[in-house]
Amino acid sequence: MNLDHELRAALQRKTPAPGLAERVLARAGEAPRKPRRVQWAVAASLILTASLAGWTAHRRAEGERAREQVLLAMRIAGSKVAYAQQQVRGISK
Amino acid sequence: MHAILEEQDAGSETLRRARGGDHDAFAEIVAEHESMVYSLAYHFFQDRGRGEEIAQDVFLQLYRNLESIESPAHLLFWLRQVTARRCIDLMRRSKLMKPISLEAVELRSASRDADPLLERRLRRLVADLPEAQRLVVTLRYQEDLDPSEICRIVDMPVNTVKSHLHRALTALRKKLGDHR
Repeated sequence: MNLDHELRAALQRKTPAPGLAERVLARAGEAPRKPRRVQWAVAASLILTASLAGWTAHRRAEGERAREQVLLAMRIAGSKVAYAQQQVRGISK
Repeated sequence: MHAILEEQDAGSETLRRARGGDHDAFAEIVAEHESMVYSLAYHFFQDRGRGEEIAQDVFLQLYRNLESIESPAHLLFWLRQVTARRCIDLMRRSKLMKPISLEAVELRSASRDADPLLERRLRRLVADLPEAQRLVVTLRYQEDLDPSEICRIVDMPVNTVKSHLHRALTALRKKLGDHR
């Protein structure tokens, strides 16, 4: 027996069920292939959106902090004014 | 020579069209290589379902990576390499024991004097080889590749490939002798 010959015969190529290309393309259609340029553009826009969202959140936090500082300053100023008025009323009596 | 060059040109043109999103061109590529990809997986697992699954995965990966394929020769090398890796990966991931369904074995023998029983027994014996030996034997005898070509596909030194091949053939001879 010639083993090389027998192996070649035993391991001949087989054909898959018809329509393999259609099945592959159907699966590809579930997640369509995007050209590399589009992939880069999508990635860039995602990064830009994330950066913008981060920057907006940062600005909002800063504004919130400034507002709290103004309110605190107004509260302090108000209490000082009230104290001064109280003193003035005491003197006038 | 002229015919080979024309064939290469046609292959390059099909590849170019497929890269441009032409589905008919992609289907032509699948039709040209499907038996190679399917059979590598089929002979590795001795299972038609696995053959179909791996063939679909490999061609889907090709579809998504068409832009990286430089030429028809590169395409053939890429398909063989990716198929071989998929087989090994799937084997290791699932620790799959090969289900051998005799009904599933397709007897498509070209030679009239071939012995279908011997062929079937050989396929089963090949499927029982350790995975590296099985892959090397399949690439050697299905694809008619020599060890210097196989070593590039499976990413092994050529002497390792030769050693796997030698051990596999010794084991097959012994088992065939034992069975006779």
